[in-house]
Amino acid sequence: MFIHIFRYRLLTLLRDRTLIFWTMIFPVILATLFNLTLRNIGENEKFNIIDIAIVDDAGYQENTQFQQTIKELSEGEEAMFNLILIDEDTSKDKLLTGDIAGYILVDDTMKVVINQSGINQSIIKIFLDQYSQTSSAITNIIMENPSAMSDVLSEVDSREVFSKEVSVSDAKPDSSLTYFYSLIAMACLYGSFFGLREVTDIQANLSNQGARLNMAPVHKLKSFLYRSMASLSIQFVEMLILMAYLRFGLGIDFGSKIGLVILTVFVGSIVGIAMGAFIGAIVKGNENSKVGICIGATMTGSFLAGMMVGDIKYLVDKNLPIVSLLNPVNVLSDSFYALYYYDNYDRYILNIMILIGFSVVFCFITYLILRRKKYASI
Amino acid sequence: MIVNVNNLVKRYGDLTAVDHLSLHVKEGEIFGLLGPNGSGKTTTINCILSLLKHDKGMIEIFDKKMAPDAYDIKKDIGVIMQNVAVFDELTVRENIDYFCGLYIEDKATKKKLVEEAIDFVGLKDFVKFYPKKLSGGLLRRLNIACGIAHKPKLIILDEPTVAVDPQSRNKILEGIVELNRQGATIIYTSHYMEEVEQICSRIMILDHGKIIAEGTKEELKNMISLGEKITVEAYGITDKQISEIKVIPNLHSVTYSDNNLVVKSNKGKNNLENILDYIRKNAINFGRIYSEMPTLNDVFLEITGTELRD
Repeated sequence: MFIHIFRYRLLTLLRDRTLIFWTMIFPVILATLFNLTLRNIGENEKFNIIDIAIVDDAGYQENTQFQQTIKELSEGEEAMFNLILIDEDTSKDKLLTGDIAGYILVDDTMKVVINQSGINQSIIKIFLDQYSQTSSAITNIIMENPSAMSDVLSEVDSREVFSKEVSVSDAKPDSSLTYFYSLIAMACLYGSFFGLREVTDIQANLSNQGARLNMAPVHKLKSFLYRSMASLSIQFVEMLILMAYLRFGLGIDFGSKIGLVILTVFVGSIVGIAMGAFIGAIVKGNENSKVGICIGATMTGSFLAGMMVGDIKYLVDKNLPIVSLLNPVNVLSDSFYALYYYDNYDRYILNIMILIGFSVVFCFITYLILRRKKYASI
Repeated sequence: MIVNVNNLVKRYGDLTAVDHLSLHVKEGEIFGLLGPNGSGKTTTINCILSLLKHDKGMIEIFDKKMAPDAYDIKKDIGVIMQNVAVFDELTVRENIDYFCGLYIEDKATKKKLVEEAIDFVGLKDFVKFYPKKLSGGLLRRLNIACGIAHKPKLIILDEPTVAVDPQSRNKILEGIVELNRQGATIIYTSHYMEEVEQICSRIMILDHGKIIAEGTKEELKNMISLGEKITVEAYGITDKQISEIKVIPNLHSVTYSDNNLVVKSNKGKNNLENILDYIRKNAINFGRIYSEMPTLNDVFLEITGTELRD
C-alpha cells in the first residue's frame, strides 16, 4: 500500500506545475536575480592597491628614509601602493585623468595633492600624516639624545599591538551570503505548499478527493504519512537542485561542512511541509486564503531574516531576539551562517533543536486535527 | 439487511437536516432516495458513511455497526459523490488505478478490475486523457469508474447525473441497472423523479429531512387520491364550459391555462371518453390530446403541497 500511495503521490505532485514553479523554479529565478544584484558587493569590500605618484624631484632624491618607506609599501603581495616616479606636471595630468588617486610632493612639509575625496585619498593622507609624525618624533628624540638612536629605531621596528585579531574560522567574510542563506531558508519554507496540499487532499471537509479517500479502507493517518513522505522527497530533491545551482552555477560558498548543510536543508524541508500542513489544518477558509497565509508568513519571515535588506536581520537579532528565535526562516539561515563562519557547533546545534521543535509542534497540532474521524459538516 | 438505519437525527444548530429517519435496504435492491435540493439526502448518505457526526440514531451496514475505522465494511462499499472527486494530475486510467489500488492490493486482480471498469463506463478511448480534457458527461463516468472499479457489494450514488448530457445520463442509468444485475445493492439519491422512477425498485421520498413516503413506485402512486391526468390542447373554452366540465363524475380537478385543459381524475377512474364527448358536443376546437398516469411528482405534490422541482 505504501508503494501504491507513494508512487501516485509523486506523480500527482510532480505534474502540478503551479506547485513545482513556486517550490523550485521561483527560488532559482530569485537566486539568479540576487546574483546579478549582489555580484559586486564582495568586490567592493576588497582592498585595491592605490595608484599614486611621487614627484621625482631633488626633495625626493635627498630623502632616502622616505624612499625606503614608500618602497617597502609598494612591494610584495600585500602592497599598499602602486607607485610611479614622475615629474610634477605629468603627475597633475595623471591626477586629472584619474590614473592616480593622488601624488606626493616630498619637501620639508610633505604634501599630498588630490582632486577629490575618497577612501584611497584618505589612506594616502593617513599614511603621510603618520610618516611625518613618526619621522618628526624620531628626529626630535635623536637631536636631544643622540645616544638613544639605536633604541628608538628598534622600538619603531618592533611596534607592539595590544589587541589581537582572532578568526573564528577560515571562512572569508562575504555579506552577500546573508541574502542567499535567507533565500534558501525561504525555499525550504515554500515546502509549506506541499504540506497544505496534503491536508487539503485528505480532509473530507476540504476537498472532494478527501471525501473519497476517507471512504477507502486505508488508515487516514497512515495514508497522510505516506503522502507526506512523497512531498518531502520532492521538496528535498528540489532543494538539492537549488543548492547545486547556487554552488556550481552561481559560485555561492557554503563552507566545508557540506554534509551538515544538506542535513539543515532536509530539516528545513520538514519544517516547511509541517508548517503548511499546520496552516491547512488550523485555518478556516478556502485553499486560496491558506496559500496566501503560507506566502505571507514565509515572506515576512524572509524579510525579518534579511532577504530583502541585510541589516534587518541584525536589527531584529539585537532588538527583538525572541522574534528571531520564533522566525523559522531566520533560524534556518542562521544555521547556514553558523556552519559557514563558526568552527564550533554550539550555535548550529541550538538552531537545529529550535527547527526540530517547530516541526514537532506543527506536526502534533496537525495530528490532533487530522485524527478526528468524523466531521461536523462537509 | 445491507443497510439498516434507525431513528437518525442530524442537526446543524437549530436546523434539523435529518429528522428521525429510519431506512432499511435489502440485498439486491436499487433503493432510491428522492427529494428536492436541501431535503437531507446527501446528509443522510454522509451520516451512513460515517463521514458526518450525527446527533442520534443507529447505523449498520452488512449487519455491523458502521464507524470511520470500520475498514472491513468500507472495503465492500463504493461511493460516487455528488461532486467529481478525481485528481486533475492523473490520467483516466491512473485515477481509476489509484482508487482501485486503495481497495485491491494484488496487482493482477487490480489490473483486470481497472480494465473492466474502463470498459464498463465506456472510457476506453480516453484512458490517457487528463480529467480537464473530458466533457462533463465523460468526467461523471470517470467519477463512477473510480467508485466501482473494486467491485463493491454496496454502491452509493449521490446525484451522479447532475449537469450531465442526456446521452451520458442514459449510459449512467443503464450502467447502474447493470451493476445491480451483476449483484451489487444500490442506493441512489436524486431529485430527478424520472430517473428514480426508471431504475429504482424501492423509493423513499424525503422533504425537510423527514420521510414523507416510502415504497415501490406503484405503492407510492396508490397512496394518493389522484388517477389519470388528461391534457387537451383546446382553444376558446369559456368559464361556463369549465364549470360544466367540473360536474362530470369522478373528476379530481380541472384547470385551463395557455390553451391547455388539464383534467385530473380520482384514483382508479377513467374520464377520457367523457371529456372527448363534451368537446365534440360543444364544438370546441382542439389539437393534441394525451393521457398519463400519476407521477412521483404528483405524489410529492399531494403530500407536501409543493412541486418536487421547487
